[in-house]
Amino acid sequence: MNKLTTFLTAATLVAAPALAQDDAWETQGLSDGAITIGVMGPFSGNASSYSKALIGMMAYYDKVNEEGGVHGRKLVAVQEDTACDSAKGLAAAKKLISQDEVFMLQGNSCSGVALALRPTIEEAGLPWIVAHAVSDSISDPLAGNIFHGVPTGSANGHAMAAFVLSKPDTKNVAIIEHSNDWAHSYSNPARDYLREQGVEPTAELTMERGQTDATAQVLKLRQNKPDFIIAALYEAETAIFLRDLKKYGMGDIPVMGTAGTDLENTLKRTGDFETVQNYYVIHSYVDNLDGEKMKPWADMIHGYYPDEELSTFSFVSIGSAEALVSALEAVGPDLTRSKLIAALEEVRDFDTGILSDPITWTPEDHQGVKGSAVAGFVDGEPTVLKAWGQPY
Amino acid sequence: MSTTMPTSRQRSLRTWAFWAVPVLLLLTPLATNAYTQFIVNGMLISILVTLGFTLVIGNLGQLAFANTAFFGIGAYASAILSAKLGLPWIMTIPLAGALGALGGFLASSAALRGIRSYYLAIITLAFGELMRWAYLHTKPLTGGTDGLPLPRETMFGISLSDDTLKFYIFLAVTAVLVKATLNLLRSRFGRAVMAVRENEVATASLAIPTARVILTTFIWSGFLVGCAGALFARHVGHVFPESFGMLHLIASFAMVLVGGLGSVLGAVLGAVVLTALPEYLRAFPGMEELFFGLIVAAVLVAMPMGLASLLRRLSPIFVERYYREES
Repeated sequence: MNKLTTFLTAATLVAAPALAQDDAWETQGLSDGAITIGVMGPFSGNASSYSKALIGMMAYYDKVNEEGGVHGRKLVAVQEDTACDSAKGLAAAKKLISQDEVFMLQGNSCSGVALALRPTIEEAGLPWIVAHAVSDSISDPLAGNIFHGVPTGSANGHAMAAFVLSKPDTKNVAIIEHSNDWAHSYSNPARDYLREQGVEPTAELTMERGQTDATAQVLKLRQNKPDFIIAALYEAETAIFLRDLKKYGMGDIPVMGTAGTDLENTLKRTGDFETVQNYYVIHSYVDNLDGEKMKPWADMIHGYYPDEELSTFSFVSIGSAEALVSALEAVGPDLTRSKLIAALEEVRDFDTGILSDPITWTPEDHQGVKGSAVAGFVDGEPTVLKAWGQPY
Repeated sequence: MSTTMPTSRQRSLRTWAFWAVPVLLLLTPLATNAYTQFIVNGMLISILVTLGFTLVIGNLGQLAFANTAFFGIGAYASAILSAKLGLPWIMTIPLAGALGALGGFLASSAALRGIRSYYLAIITLAFGELMRWAYLHTKPLTGGTDGLPLPRETMFGISLSDDTLKFYIFLAVTAVLVKATLNLLRSRFGRAVMAVRENEVATASLAIPTARVILTTFIWSGFLVGCAGALFARHVGHVFPESFGMLHLIASFAMVLVGGLGSVLGAVLGAVVLTALPEYLRAFPGMEELFFGLIVAAVLVAMPMGLASLLRRLSPIFVERYYREES
């Protein structure tokens, strides 16, 4: 018995520093009054317009703080610039983790940067909620501490194809796309979904970026007579394609576009309602940006950032911020990183009130948002749709 | 003999001083965390990139901008050899350097055909863009826009994601290559390089094979920057085409000018200062580019010969001389 006591005492003395270190790691970035959250985004450089994607999340933190925080702790954001560059992004992540010692990370536009960050953050082990970048590879294969809080590329691609097939008697589907990975991230999951449903695309065409004429593609499509066209094109090329479709008398064929295009911007670009009246886009929200359901969120952002010019990006990170706060509340005042990760994995069908689809994180799947709504013109008004002819 | 010329004692002191720097730098990890170590590692990579660049535009006097192409070639070579062929990353460094050298050979072909000045600049810029197009459109090999991640690897039982281990490797590679370049420039060949810069026709009239000098300088530059590319690939762990665009070229050019055109010491100073500066400017989100531009402009206005000229004024030990001293 004495020997056992001696052994246990010795073992405790040896293990104590390591355990203390683990405890310190678990609560790093926490104080009685604050939870520090590292927020990375492209605040400078060519892609700095994407930094708008973090505005909604920051405004939501401000709102929570104004209401007293979470269990008395304020959400304190420490912002770092990635400039949408992998080396600069890695420096930002390492600064937040090892110098600022934040409790967790949330944010990130630019899939390339997020992909480069993944091994470092996975190794560091602190919770990271991706609030804008869409590449599936950021959170798949599963990493225990990385959560995706927006629809991924594959979720959007599936949503596009599902909407197309929800139109009655759709059998003949054509695809037109850019020959880059951005386009493929939408078109390939859409193809997979179509094939799962027994529909083989009857025409697969390419329109390169910067092309100012789509006559050749449209004439091919005219021979093909598709019921629906999936267009994985940037906004400028989408406008050209729609213009040429109308020019050759095919303006009545519905076209399904990506989240990279905005319905009303496309209307502005073409300057002609008839050209875009059968155009549909992926839309991750419950309402139009100026709709009633979005108004409280818009007011919230303007409450803290009065000069913010709202765009689709401005709202994208709010849903994941809500899910985070819900998980923090579920953990209670005795917060640790492991407890937060466990609580995030318990988030089920979380209705954010802003994203069209709920957030569900399980221990096996951290890609939380599995679908997206679609926006299109119905009776001349931009309308959010669940499926063909079904308003959200 | 000019009073600024170093004596043989000073030369010996200079050699000792050169090796003392990397030896002292071995202690760096004692004073850094993961973030600051990452920045220091980035400085070492930038030193090689800037050195390769200044060699061509400063020492050889050719307005060639293929530097970023060599950098990308080295980075992708290292990533492909590691990820696709399973080679240990450390072995990919000389191979990436060799492929960078091949890039240097290709870039020099324009100069060898008598293309000079702005025409050479445009051709070499186009070479860089062509390489970027290749990274984007050879997806099975390069991963396209998704980039190519390097496999996780260990050395001596330590993960290569460890910034301290990377630092020691980067430091060794950088010190050896900087010293080799210094020795090259102090050799007969180095003097021929500078003779070509001063007057190519006069140099040729002295029976110096100017074509070979130009070719070899481009190849050595490609090798240096190719090796830097391999280090960069491991530094970020995932190579993307965007890393090898015009912005990188402009940043490297600024490092050359701020440090001092055609100066090895300048390449080191420019790389260190302009890698560190953006990190200090992190505290001013959205204003970084403005401050960065102003600081670079101020240095160039106040010191047209770069930061190296400042050190040269302080001590003759920093004077870079590539000709034989009178006895």
